[in-house]
Amino acid sequence: MTILADAAADAGPPTSPPAQRRGRLPGCVRIGLLLTPALTVVGVFFAGGVAQAIAQSFGYQPSLPGARISTDAYTALWSDPAVRASLLLTGRVAVVSTVLSAVLGVAAALTLRRLGRSRAWVTGVFQANLAVPHLVGALCMLLLLSQGGLLSRLTHAVGLTASPTAFPAVTNDRFGWSIIAEYVWKETPFLTVIVLATLSRGLQDLETAARSLGASRSQRLRHVTLPILTPALAAGSVLVFAFAAGSYEVPYLLGRPYPATLPVVALQYYNATDLTSRPEAMAVAVLITVTSSAIVAAYLTILARLSRRAL
Amino acid sequence: MTRPAIARPTRPTHRPAPRAGRRTRLAAVLGAGLLAVTACGSTKATSAAGAVDASDWSSVLAQAKGQTVNWYMYGGDDVLNTFVTGYVADQLEQVGVGLKQIKITDTVDAVNAVIGARQAGQNSGGSVDAIWINGENFATGVQSKLWNCGWPGDLPNSKYVDFTNPGVANDFGVPVNGCEAAWQQANSALVYDSSKLSTADIASVSSLIAWATAHPGHFTYPALPDFTGSMAVRTILYDTIGGPASLSGPFEQAKYAPAATKLWTRLNALAPSLWRGGATYPQSQAAVEKLYSDGEISAFLTYGPGAVGAQVSKGLFPASTRETVPAPGNIANVSFLAIPYNAAHTAGALVLANVLQDPQTQLALYKAEGIYPGIDLAKTDAATQAQFAAVPISRSVLPLAALTRHAQPELASGYVSRLEHDWKTQVLQRSR
Repeated sequence: MTILADAAADAGPPTSPPAQRRGRLPGCVRIGLLLTPALTVVGVFFAGGVAQAIAQSFGYQPSLPGARISTDAYTALWSDPAVRASLLLTGRVAVVSTVLSAVLGVAAALTLRRLGRSRAWVTGVFQANLAVPHLVGALCMLLLLSQGGLLSRLTHAVGLTASPTAFPAVTNDRFGWSIIAEYVWKETPFLTVIVLATLSRGLQDLETAARSLGASRSQRLRHVTLPILTPALAAGSVLVFAFAAGSYEVPYLLGRPYPATLPVVALQYYNATDLTSRPEAMAVAVLITVTSSAIVAAYLTILARLSRRAL
Repeated sequence: MTRPAIARPTRPTHRPAPRAGRRTRLAAVLGAGLLAVTACGSTKATSAAGAVDASDWSSVLAQAKGQTVNWYMYGGDDVLNTFVTGYVADQLEQVGVGLKQIKITDTVDAVNAVIGARQAGQNSGGSVDAIWINGENFATGVQSKLWNCGWPGDLPNSKYVDFTNPGVANDFGVPVNGCEAAWQQANSALVYDSSKLSTADIASVSSLIAWATAHPGHFTYPALPDFTGSMAVRTILYDTIGGPASLSGPFEQAKYAPAATKLWTRLNALAPSLWRGGATYPQSQAAVEKLYSDGEISAFLTYGPGAVGAQVSKGLFPASTRETVPAPGNIANVSFLAIPYNAAHTAGALVLANVLQDPQTQLALYKAEGIYPGIDLAKTDAATQAQFAAVPISRSVLPLAALTRHAQPELASGYVSRLEHDWKTQVLQRSR
């Protein structure tokens, strides 16, 4: 292991010369000042928004006469079957989408690396997908997979299905297949591009070193390649998971009104014309934030252990 | 929905970030958060007195000159959007008023924007100048005191409006009280493919349900609280309880409970014969119309019967598409223009409301969309009435007389919101 670690230290790109000191500000203060504008924006809009959501979820509604501070919204949520069913569906869609995208993304990156001259062209195809908005992706899935869609018409034309309804219902279905399909289609290239960036020359040197020490292909993959990929893949997967659990338009277009994913339920509550259900909408939003944060934290903890053990 | 940009993946080193930097970051986030929380002070309820006196119309016109009105409206109807950005904008331009149409998917979004501004203490200079609205959204605004009131009677063109018409005086059972001005009337109708349904099938709501049961999967309605889905459920309710008369007036539990029980029984019996076996419902009316144009369903209820002709001529709907009003009748309502109390361009919004009530605007709208006028044609001159009568209509669309002959009123919004809420628990969440 130490040999590999030394090799890793040697294999890194040459470090740039130390930045010239400008002014007399200590480095940490300078970094802090440079980050202030961005952090202010994040702080005001993110922390402010979360604070507002929490306040309103406990019934803080100054414009509504008779509103009072209470935890009623949370008790109402707990007894709402729509929310219970939603937790299950949201978790399922986010987990399955993230796992499939991660596996396919790593596989695609490792395959792309072995390509010769066509690599640039194929990578370009993968990167082109990044520019497609999720909304467009969801509509494409609808045009492709619905019972009145392209695939259904094709199977009907070649005589595989007798009528549009004979085509399996994979859009607006109970499991959420088309939602998962859209996320996987959109997020796999995203993770591929991230993983590809870590497959640098340094890694090739490491693999060569391991090979010269007699490591088989599977051992090289397990002990050299994957550990190097893991941090970047983890960061990307967390983003994918948070997005899949918190996105609205894809499950709205491809899912069902019930059971619906948490963001859709939150908007159902938020758009209720009766203002008294506003606290419940905010309580759903708080619930999304809390569960997503908890899952991501757990995931990162597990991953930190895994990567330590592997290295 | 954009994803935050990602920093280049770091090389797998595990160098901890400098602690001071981390502390700075924490301090910045906490400070900003504190700032945001303290910025949301509580708001005092203010009386909605716009600084514009609508009874002095020449001063309204003078104030409106140079203003650009932000008109929030449901943007899912392309024909109507073209009418608004074309004809209506041109009319306003002639008096020096600009128009910016803000398309929204649901009117409640605009109401939420005004509520948000109110909660943030923005009692003037609001971003929403006018909303196309009716029903529960209007009631919500009344509940939260969002509307500028007392102006509709001052509009010069209000002489064409019949304020004694119950549909104009009350909006889904909520008294209008001069807080919104009538614009158009909507009449529901059944749109169907005449190559798949016979005249006997569409004669009444009961025969339509019998047809749907005999042809599973070819009929559906959007999941409530969708506006049209809500109307579809009320249409079946009227048929189930013999019209809206027994539920007139404000919400009463004693009247509601037996009627609702009968309705849920009937809808749950119908559910297995609907699209996808009633296991799910389309999310919106747009989704329902897409199912119809894809041939997945053969009939649907609509609130915009006038727009169907355009869909047929574009080839989106089959040429055999026809409309009818099944017995016991369709549902009619008036929709309005409301002006928020904190609108930045109140004068411009008043001019817009007046333009919308102009008989020529109403005629152009009827020509473009087949939308029935919100004004009373009997109050217009003979020439205008003749112009209305002379408008040619598509073979797929019902003439005005047929659309309005059996029109029934809407229920009070208290009933509507209860029906929408209970439909979710009694029908949607029992779907398998």
